[in-house]
Amino acid sequence: MKNSSLLTRGLAPLFGLVLFVLLWQAASGFYHPVVLPSPLDVARSAVKLAANGQLWEQGSQSIARGLTGFGLAVIIGLPLGLLIGLSPLISSLLRPLVVGLQVTPLISWLLLAMIWLGFSKVPSFVVFVTTIPLVIINTIQGVKNIDVQLMQMAAVFRINRSRVFREIYLPQVLPYLLAGIITGLGTTWKAVAMAEFLSVSQGIGAKMAVARINLETADLFAWTFVLIVLGLITDRLLTYLVNKKLRHWM
Amino acid sequence: MITFEHVDKTLGQTRVLHDFSMHAEKNEITCIIGPSGCGKTTILQLLAGLEHVDAGRITGMENMRPSYVFQEPRLLLWKTVGQNISFVLQDAVSPEQQQELVEKYLTMMGLYEYRDSYPKSLSGGMRQRLALCRAFAYPHDLLLMDEPFKSLDTPLRLGLVRQVARMWQEKPSTIIFVTHDIMDALLLGHRVIVLSARPAVVLDDVKIDVPLMQRNVLHEPLPASHDRMLALLEAENKKYFPNL
Repeated sequence: MKNSSLLTRGLAPLFGLVLFVLLWQAASGFYHPVVLPSPLDVARSAVKLAANGQLWEQGSQSIARGLTGFGLAVIIGLPLGLLIGLSPLISSLLRPLVVGLQVTPLISWLLLAMIWLGFSKVPSFVVFVTTIPLVIINTIQGVKNIDVQLMQMAAVFRINRSRVFREIYLPQVLPYLLAGIITGLGTTWKAVAMAEFLSVSQGIGAKMAVARINLETADLFAWTFVLIVLGLITDRLLTYLVNKKLRHWM
Repeated sequence: MITFEHVDKTLGQTRVLHDFSMHAEKNEITCIIGPSGCGKTTILQLLAGLEHVDAGRITGMENMRPSYVFQEPRLLLWKTVGQNISFVLQDAVSPEQQQELVEKYLTMMGLYEYRDSYPKSLSGGMRQRLALCRAFAYPHDLLLMDEPFKSLDTPLRLGLVRQVARMWQEKPSTIIFVTHDIMDALLLGHRVIVLSARPAVVLDDVKIDVPLMQRNVLHEPLPASHDRMLALLEAENKKYFPNL
């Protein structure tokens, strides 16, 4: 059992990754580096970007924009989700808007943000509008799953409303909210890079635009890996923290 | 005295209680037995204020603070065993008293060593005992118990029945105990009320004078009551399941 789990969890995925890199290396021999740079070219590019400070300089801007947009989505989306979940009136009032927000094409938001807010705020805004439905919908889901029996229990023991909210409502909504946050952050990095690509001159997405124009395809790959790593780190870190915090009762 | 006078109650499409009357004496243990679905739980929910009567009235509940043992434990899974009890005590007693009550009842129910565990790590029986601790510890004038021993094995159930009897002996309060187990009712009740199938009427109302701590279902006069109640309940069940 131990051997097989080592095989499936450690060695096999590693082997798959190595195989992929080898195939990539082999394929890159047939093409010009502008079309398909070799893994080595990309690694060199990544080291260069790290050494000249670009990685941190551009990366930190993208992270800051992403977190601003997503932070606002959580701050506004959580109370909205709670209100929609708790009040049928507010639900029937706002639900169509949330659905509308969700199905509006991203490119429309992007162009409108350029007109309304100016270029510099476009990435944060795009992140905000793409992630707020996730936060709202997950919060509503949490509220819908609140255990009515526990509410009766609290009523019998005359627990006051603010404690019912803090100690019965929120803990039950929390797992759903956290699931929303994990998915939302995954979307954040993709959305921020796309918006930067089309609107600003700094940040990972903007540098990908520059790399494309200059035919520096290895840089394009390197930035893509930065985004992938960013996504992986936030996903794994949050999942780990959530599991650690909630393991007693989930 | 707590009295139900001609109470009507409909839940959803079901008329659970119709023109229902009964009473329970203060500082006595009143046991209610009856077939499933006859409205026993509804009676408790009306007393707890979780439901309200459609017609008729309930008197004697003025200034009564109820405590409740539900059929299910209804614990907060994100709080420890100790915190589940202090959760209901926080607004009702001083912090020192809180600590004292938590310790007292957890010790009584054999859960003290689990005070820092989470409910998820407890067995079903332990969770139910924790729910009992919570209800006992909460300051109350009226204790409502809805089949609290349903999921427990017989020795543990009898042990807990005695525990409730001892607690009452120590500090008499009004207890309304709903069960489908005639033996529990005869061991614990100062009065046992047998209800009919829906809509419920009182079929039998027995006062038991044997002191709580001397009760033994095998001794007079309890076997006679036991057999009579069993016959009544069987007849009622026939209304639901004529082929049994």
